Amino acid sequence: MSEEIQASEEAAGYLKIHPETLKRAFWNWFFWNGCSQQAESMQGMAFAQSMAPIIDDLYESKEDKAAALKRHVSLFNTEPQVGSICNGIVSGLEEANANGACTPEVIESVKVALIGPTSAIGDSLWVGTIIPILLTICMTISQSGVSWLGPIVYMVVYPVGTAIVSWKLFQLGYKGGLEGMQSLMASGKLDRLTNAMVLMGLIVVGALTASYVTCTIPFGIVGDVFDATTGTTTQAVIFDTNTMLDGFFPKLLPLLLTLWIYHLYTHKKWSPLAIMGLILVLAIVLTAIQYLTGYANVQAVAAAAAAAAA
Amino acid sequence: MSVLQMFLIALFIYLGSIGSIVGNTIGWYTLGRPLVASFVVGLIFGDVQDAMIVGIPLQVMYLGNVTPGGAVAWDLSYATYIGTTGALLFGQGMDATALIGVATVFAGIGGLVGQLVWNVTYALNIPLNRVAAKYAEAGDTKRMYVPNVVLGQTIGFIGRFVPAMLILGGMTAASTQADFASFIPPYITTCLTIFGGMMAALGMGILLSFLLKKKWYVVIFLAGFILVTYFKLSMMGCAVVATILAVTYYEVSAKPAQSEKEA
Repeated sequence: MSEEIQASEEAAGYLKIHPETLKRAFWNWFFWNGCSQQAESMQGMAFAQSMAPIIDDLYESKEDKAAALKRHVSLFNTEPQVGSICNGIVSGLEEANANGACTPEVIESVKVALIGPTSAIGDSLWVGTIIPILLTICMTISQSGVSWLGPIVYMVVYPVGTAIVSWKLFQLGYKGGLEGMQSLMASGKLDRLTNAMVLMGLIVVGALTASYVTCTIPFGIVGDVFDATTGTTTQAVIFDTNTMLDGFFPKLLPLLLTLWIYHLYTHKKWSPLAIMGLILVLAIVLTAIQYLTGYANVQAVAAAAAAAAA
Repeated sequence: MSVLQMFLIALFIYLGSIGSIVGNTIGWYTLGRPLVASFVVGLIFGDVQDAMIVGIPLQVMYLGNVTPGGAVAWDLSYATYIGTTGALLFGQGMDATALIGVATVFAGIGGLVGQLVWNVTYALNIPLNRVAAKYAEAGDTKRMYVPNVVLGQTIGFIGRFVPAMLILGGMTAASTQADFASFIPPYITTCLTIFGGMMAALGMGILLSFLLKKKWYVVIFLAGFILVTYFKLSMMGCAVVATILAVTYYEVSAKPAQSEKEA
């Protein structure tokens, strides 16, 4: 470390990462975290690219830079948007390491330890809850008249909001370090936030299921009914599976179908592709029932009856 | 479909895929979402109205499509751009439900191709680790972008753009051959409509796998369900109710933790 640089640092002679360098590290990650994903190091190369400006800032000799880069091209994987906190934490650790307050072994083990919790939070809270809720709101905007407004709102709100949150998490990681993340998790704030989002998500998914999932059993019986007041015989629907089921509990079949698919996906470990196949088979069977039992006739009679009543 | 339209759609298929050059936030999680993708296709075709008719049901079907741990369940970018394009190209003169059915089929084809392509690029990226190791060994901090962005995205772009152009070319050629609206028998459209309606349950089922952390949570899901069936609330109304409950929960549950902290 040259005397000049040390003199230009703060009074204590402590090496600090330049704020602009931190921003570059963040943007490197924000745009290119998934550019070279593969099974060997997952997001390792992207992580190393994110760390490169910081390494350049902190270390002087080629050997130190090489050693630092080598520990970051190794395996790393997280949900990248929430996972920017990892980059922040590791930046802080690299800074400590350059000042002799940390060791490479600690950096490596912390990185590995961060993979699990940050992926879990990112996948379930951000990707699994916030994105669907935001999409739902935007779909609602589109349906209530102006169809292009929903996508436009999403295209602005989601990337901008995510960039801000992701950058705040990066800064939190850098300033607070591992302790900062631990205290955040220990304070229960994160648990409460997750639970609140889950609560919101479940209500929205419940409402979506009722609004969008359709499933009916196209079967009914039409018979001649004698109308005593007029003394004539008219055709009427004697039995319709869907009217019967909906009278018992509206949209019972969509509800059961959704819970069944949830069960197959979560507990029986069916792949989405296998479930799609199952749905296709069901659709073919239901279509066959509809045509073979002449359900169109049932619907026509029901429509005529409704028209007559009105 | 003109060559320029094909080029633009294929370009967006690439941009909306995982790890494209604009980043996952802007790419996969924004341009790749069916709601946005169908809007983009609508703009390219100059028919936003029809594109959004299929965009919203596709979005519901694929609402649960997230990528835990890098395993791609379904290539959403391919699925929705191809699906919406298919509906606009072949669905002329069809009513909304049939249009959605056509979109579902093309989305299925697109999704399969996309998943295949993803697996290929995922494998092709592996040798890039050797390049990265070489630069790391040299301590070359200025060139760490080469294996990640330059090489990774050369593979990514070719792997996604070229197959997309081929599919779109095939679709264009097929669309000139016959009038599909009169060609497809009614029972096929009926079947596709039933299929589309039930496919929404897949999206919901996958989302539930994230949200149902405890068994009893299913009653909260039911609460959302009956808000629509019994109380006839719109989706926006449900979202507002959900927000109110979430904020209330967050604030009420804070009280004991905070007083502990202050003590």
